[in-house]
Amino acid sequence: MQDVPAALIYGYGNPDREDDGVAWHILSLVCQKLGRPAPSEPEEEFLSTGISPDIIFALQLTPEVSELASRYERVCFVDAHTGAIEDDLHTAPVESHFQSSPFTHHLTPESCLSMVETLYGKKPEAVLVSVRGYRFGFARTLSEPTSRLAEKAADWIINWLNEK
Amino acid sequence: MVAQKITIEPVTRIEGHAKVTIRMNPDGTVEHAYMHVNEFRGFEKFCEGRMVFEMPNITPRICGICPVSHHLAAAKAGDKVLGAPPPRPANLLRELMHMGQIIQSHGMHFFELAGPDLLLGFDADPAIRNVVGIIQANPELAVKAVELRKYGQEIIHTLGGRRIHPTFAVPGGVNRALTAADREAILAGLDATIATIQAGIAIMKDWAARNMEDINKFAVFPTGYFGLITPKNSLELYEGDVRLISRDGSELERFDIQNYLDIIAEHTEPWSYLKFPYYKKLGYPNGVYRVGPLGRLNISEQIDTPLANAELKNFKTLNDGKPVENTLYYHYARLIEALFAAERVGVLLADPDILSKDVQNTRYNPQPHGVGVIEAPRGTLIHDYTANENGQLTKVNLIVSTGHNNWAMSNAVDSVAKTYVKGPEIKEGMLNRVEAAIRAYDPCLSCSTHAVGTMPMIVDVENADGEIIQTLRRD
Repeated sequence: MQDVPAALIYGYGNPDREDDGVAWHILSLVCQKLGRPAPSEPEEEFLSTGISPDIIFALQLTPEVSELASRYERVCFVDAHTGAIEDDLHTAPVESHFQSSPFTHHLTPESCLSMVETLYGKKPEAVLVSVRGYRFGFARTLSEPTSRLAEKAADWIINWLNEK
Repeated sequence: MVAQKITIEPVTRIEGHAKVTIRMNPDGTVEHAYMHVNEFRGFEKFCEGRMVFEMPNITPRICGICPVSHHLAAAKAGDKVLGAPPPRPANLLRELMHMGQIIQSHGMHFFELAGPDLLLGFDADPAIRNVVGIIQANPELAVKAVELRKYGQEIIHTLGGRRIHPTFAVPGGVNRALTAADREAILAGLDATIATIQAGIAIMKDWAARNMEDINKFAVFPTGYFGLITPKNSLELYEGDVRLISRDGSELERFDIQNYLDIIAEHTEPWSYLKFPYYKKLGYPNGVYRVGPLGRLNISEQIDTPLANAELKNFKTLNDGKPVENTLYYHYARLIEALFAAERVGVLLADPDILSKDVQNTRYNPQPHGVGVIEAPRGTLIHDYTANENGQLTKVNLIVSTGHNNWAMSNAVDSVAKTYVKGPEIKEGMLNRVEAAIRAYDPCLSCSTHAVGTMPMIVDVENADGEIIQTLRRD
């Protein structure tokens, strides 16, 4: 495992709002597929094994994540989506581009990567994996279609990890 | 030119829907502008039936931006409902966590949200008018700004013990003491934190000196001011009575938050789902007031930490000792508060009780009703719980800081639009100033859920017949 580029899988969302928290479920599935113990609830941290990939879940993508991401050669952002994005399982390379968000305190992956580059002079290979959400009520469960997509997303991430 | 309507709409997926409407006169001037909010209110119903001791863990889920404020306000309401005042060390530790929240939130706002306007200019190319533009202009400062937010987050993480939904404050106290090692770790970053905030203050003052004309015509209007205060009228963010002052600075009320319904009421408007709190005795709209950094510094006569107090003295000269009415000075006030919070971290960590293990009062004297209050980064946050004899909640009322500032934000939008927006062509810089009027208040409109995508600003320019004749969009 020594020559595997260090990878970070960073998922975010609100685990208390049904499909908005799908990233936590995807990360748990990735853990299982890697043969690692997965946390039983979002409040528990994903165990750091010292072996790539590192897996982290948070409520939001915030500026200090840029410092964290700068330490890795590959970064996979995991989120939910709705609306305009066509694919139910959306995967795409993340290009560095800052997007202003006039009022909110969170970043887009593109903005985060832009900060990684401009602040820390690093340019990790980055991808975004997002899954369509259908329900956003107050619950920790996923809707059935999002749950199916979460499984596919986890498989995609495993393949992405195995690419290098 | 016919009369037209401009709508600025930050599109959100699920909740917190807000937009600005600007009605134009036929001559291209602004007739009226206002902000309307669809704020999610279902959370209060969701909480009914829950046990009061669950609330510090449930209510942070309202908001991913200031969960600590809800966590602490819920614990404080729980103290009242269970009749269990926390031991002094527990209050010190809660306040320490709160200072972490203030530092990270205020730091984030100034450097990432307000900073681009101030450092790069309202009319700068939007492609560079962002935090990356700041990084390119001053990379060293930008790294420090990221570290500033991280420092506040680490205080929260140290006390809360985990990244998601910290469990720390409980009715009657907190659930763990601070270790000496954690105390030293927090102290180690304090000097750098203070230095970064001071650098931010220097930037703000330099900008203010060069942009006095903008400051003096950008949403300057009188209101009352409202917030927690110490017995000696010093700035207070965690515990105290509420002080309400008039537009001329005289004290209107000083009261225990348990009695807030005797003092304030909420007005409704048909065009907004968010209510408009006001001072009952003066009625609406004469009794409207502002909360948050500007409100808090206006009600404070001093600050109990030396560096922030020196800045407050300067702040008080801005309007010859009277309340400062300029919306853009919210940014200066925010930095002064961040400085206070950082200094207060040092004070709290130096307190002999800070490492005490006496952190929880388990002797309960249950009450049917209790109100918890805290000065969240954006302003006064009130949690009001009514419980049955088993401690199960039968009624929950939450008044969030963005609600207190509702009238002021709408009025700021109106004022800025009338001052800066001129038709027929609506330039991006004009729109940005309208956004900046809202940004100054740092509202929390839609933070409990999010997903891929930003909050694009959409401006629809409509003629008098409601036909869209121009659409501007910024992602």
